[in-house]
Amino acid sequence: MSTTVRRLGFLGVTVAIYGFLLAPIVIVVVAAFNAGEYLRFPPEGISLRWFAKFFASEPFVRSFWFSLKLAWLCTVVSTVLGGTAAFYVVRHAGRLRDVLRLLLVAPLQLPAILTGIALLLFFYSVGLGTRGMGGLLIGHTVVSVPYVFLIVSTVLLRFDRSLEEAARSLGASAWATFWRVTLPLIRGGVISGALFAFITSFDQFPISLLLVSVGNTTLPIQLFDYLRFSFDPTAAAASTVSVVMSVMVVWLIHRLVGLEQVTWGGPR
Amino acid sequence: MARAAEMARLRVRRPPRSAPPAVLLLLPSGLFLAAFFLVPYGNMVRMSFLAKAEGAAFANGVTLENYLRILQDAFYWRVIGRTFWLAGLSTVLTLLLGYPVAYAIARAPGPRRPLLLMLLLAPLLVGAVVRSYGWMILLGRVGLINQTLRILGVGEVELMYNTFGVVIGLVHVYLPFMVLALASALEQIPAEVELAARSLGAAPWRTFWRVTWPLSLPGVFSGSMLVFVLALSAYVIPILLGGNNVLVMPILIVQMLLDAFNWPVGSAMAMVLFGLACVVLLVYVKTANRVLRWIGR
Amino acid sequence: MASIQLDGVTKRFGPVVAVRGLSLQVREGELLTLLGPSGCGKTTTLRLLAGFLTPEEGRIFFGELDVTRLAPEHRNVGIVFQNYALFPHMTVAQNVAFGLEVRGLPGREIRSRVREILERVQLRGLEQRYPHQLSGGQQQRVALARALVINPEVLLLDEPLANLDAKLREEMRFYIRHLQQEFRITTIYVTHDQAEAMALADRIALLRDGVLQQVARPEEIYRRPQSKWVADFVGVCNFIPGRVLGQEDGFLVVQTPVGLLRCSGTAGPGRVLVCVRPESLRPQAEGPNRIAGVVRSRTFLGNLLDVRVFCPGEVVLRVQCPLTWDAQPGESLHLAFRAQDAWVVSEEG
Repeated sequence: MSTTVRRLGFLGVTVAIYGFLLAPIVIVVVAAFNAGEYLRFPPEGISLRWFAKFFASEPFVRSFWFSLKLAWLCTVVSTVLGGTAAFYVVRHAGRLRDVLRLLLVAPLQLPAILTGIALLLFFYSVGLGTRGMGGLLIGHTVVSVPYVFLIVSTVLLRFDRSLEEAARSLGASAWATFWRVTLPLIRGGVISGALFAFITSFDQFPISLLLVSVGNTTLPIQLFDYLRFSFDPTAAAASTVSVVMSVMVVWLIHRLVGLEQVTWGGPR
Repeated sequence: MARAAEMARLRVRRPPRSAPPAVLLLLPSGLFLAAFFLVPYGNMVRMSFLAKAEGAAFANGVTLENYLRILQDAFYWRVIGRTFWLAGLSTVLTLLLGYPVAYAIARAPGPRRPLLLMLLLAPLLVGAVVRSYGWMILLGRVGLINQTLRILGVGEVELMYNTFGVVIGLVHVYLPFMVLALASALEQIPAEVELAARSLGAAPWRTFWRVTWPLSLPGVFSGSMLVFVLALSAYVIPILLGGNNVLVMPILIVQMLLDAFNWPVGSAMAMVLFGLACVVLLVYVKTANRVLRWIGR
Repeated sequence: MASIQLDGVTKRFGPVVAVRGLSLQVREGELLTLLGPSGCGKTTTLRLLAGFLTPEEGRIFFGELDVTRLAPEHRNVGIVFQNYALFPHMTVAQNVAFGLEVRGLPGREIRSRVREILERVQLRGLEQRYPHQLSGGQQQRVALARALVINPEVLLLDEPLANLDAKLREEMRFYIRHLQQEFRITTIYVTHDQAEAMALADRIALLRDGVLQQVARPEEIYRRPQSKWVADFVGVCNFIPGRVLGQEDGFLVVQTPVGLLRCSGTAGPGRVLVCVRPESLRPQAEGPNRIAGVVRSRTFLGNLLDVRVFCPGEVVLRVQCPLTWDAQPGESLHLAFRAQDAWVVSEEG
């Protein structure tokens, strides 16, 4: 087999697999704009009726805002928890470092559904129940903190400590050094971590499945319930809204911070 | 002198204050995870040894009843078997599909790589429910694929609400994880090693089999372990794409907890499933280490 | 401007003793070089002076003030790091202004001081550039400006020229010396490059495995090393083993395999090494110290000839001399040196 044929074959396979990866998502978005009830070839025409139905559906809209609010809160809490933990583990932990890393990353190693189950049992055992947003927020935070921790740790490990030493030698206190030198330079990493936390919460399923209560569903759960029993493209519209949400967050970060910064290394 | 006075002005004057202990940085996350991660898991283990009560989720009293009930029932073993089988099959398939993609990413020239990575990770931004729905549209009886087949005169094929659909869904959702693990291992293999093999006369396939593949094994092992555990605990995909026809343990566990409201047995089922998974993984890791040692890594 | 004093300073990292019982004094306005091979403790000493490390034993004084346990931000030191440590997210002007802002000086004064110092280091016009837009030499000068603008008591330089190419390094060497003298700042300069140390320093402090070997003016260290190690570390040196027989006319008489030699120095009776620098050996038939030998090899070094001469007792002497000498391998000749050009050290160390 000649080199060109082999290379083309490899290219073809790779493209096909990428197609496999992206096809369902593209299909969903296309279905959302489809005029007909089922996706057909040739397509029946473009329409926004499913979006109209989505925005008119009270459960969907309510779950959308709820997810948004929940994700926002979760992001703030996870970033603080994960960020402080990263600072401690990278700079102060000494011999405990490996143990702490293990603990802080553990929620990622164990299946989310198991964590959801454990939390459900726990909340009822201590009498808290799952009313209100509290339980969900805690559940989402538990699985988001590891992402923030990992990303901020990486950035901190690559950080040039001599910059902080220079600042201190010039008279800046520890706090002033952090605020004026360290934080601006790790900002990209912190925002990356926050972004991960947001997406993790917004798209979270297993934990939400077990911890939602009546009147407080997230968008993924609402969508899931809907899909158990109907097949109509309102679900596609809901999904598209979800996709757009994710894309917008990424875009927003790009405008604020620049995507070059949103790597695992921060500006350099 | 003016100089001394000037220097006195420029001297930093602040009362030395001892810094707060660094441990304060760990307290928020440490306490949070201890309370809402460690304790709940411990509680779940405890729960699996409790007895079911009338009208309540659980009662006090340690018992092995729950475990016995599970382990002695062939029904549960069938479900466990099916769960492991699906997870294993999905792992193998993600490996087969993921390898070319991982190779492409690892060997991609500088500017192209971020694009490839973005396309790979984009589906992750979207969530399992949406992705499963996409497959439902494609695979369903009135879905796109069947429409095409009908037009071609082939007739319809049952692609959903069965094992096939579930496996497709599992492979699709967990493929990026496998690719990432493989790509990072492949990146570690310098391209020159393959070129050296080729210069010594090895044909491309042989080069792959004797050089690339063995060197990438660490990535293969870590990727497959990751995907296996994820596939084992999948809930959304089997339910949406399998309907009531593909019963796996996570579905059964959630049913037991939320519908039958029998928490002790539900916890015990979770413990059994993941306990078995740990055993399997332990054996796998031991074998993997032996293989890695054997090829000199 | 303060003098610096280290009193019996010891610093340990676990079982490793990086600095051992170091006692050193630096006079006001002096430039002292800390010289030694890697791992000798010079960087550790610098960090102790800066306040990033606290010694287990001993004390450190800036003038009258005991700074041993004082935090870095209260010591008023200026530091130039090896990698310059310029804040990448700030412009040149902001970098230089940082120390002044932290001290709460009024804006107008900050601006004028920054302008003045940038003028002094010839970086006018580059205020708004970012560090990554500057050349190595320019970054170096920004680092210097930033450290000097706060009028520090003490200036610490950690191999500041290590990242520059050879030519630039030489230029900057004189430049730094010039600035230091202009500002009259007590300065400690760390380097492993002995040529640099000798060119810059008022005095050199040699460190080896955390222990101070010798502190003296460069000429003193070169011509009168206190130990074999010092003689060997600074420049090239020939060592001829021997035994001190006695004294004569103020010089020592030493019995060696190549003959009876007369040298300077003080040493008790016993085994010693006679140190002779390659440039002190001359090919001539007459003189108080005559050594017979055969030319082994000859190397052209550009401005000098480097010749190895094989002498009795398995002693190989290295000679460096101008190109006018026409030595060929295999040729027999005599080498001679003056008694005051040879120095005796004890055999160990």
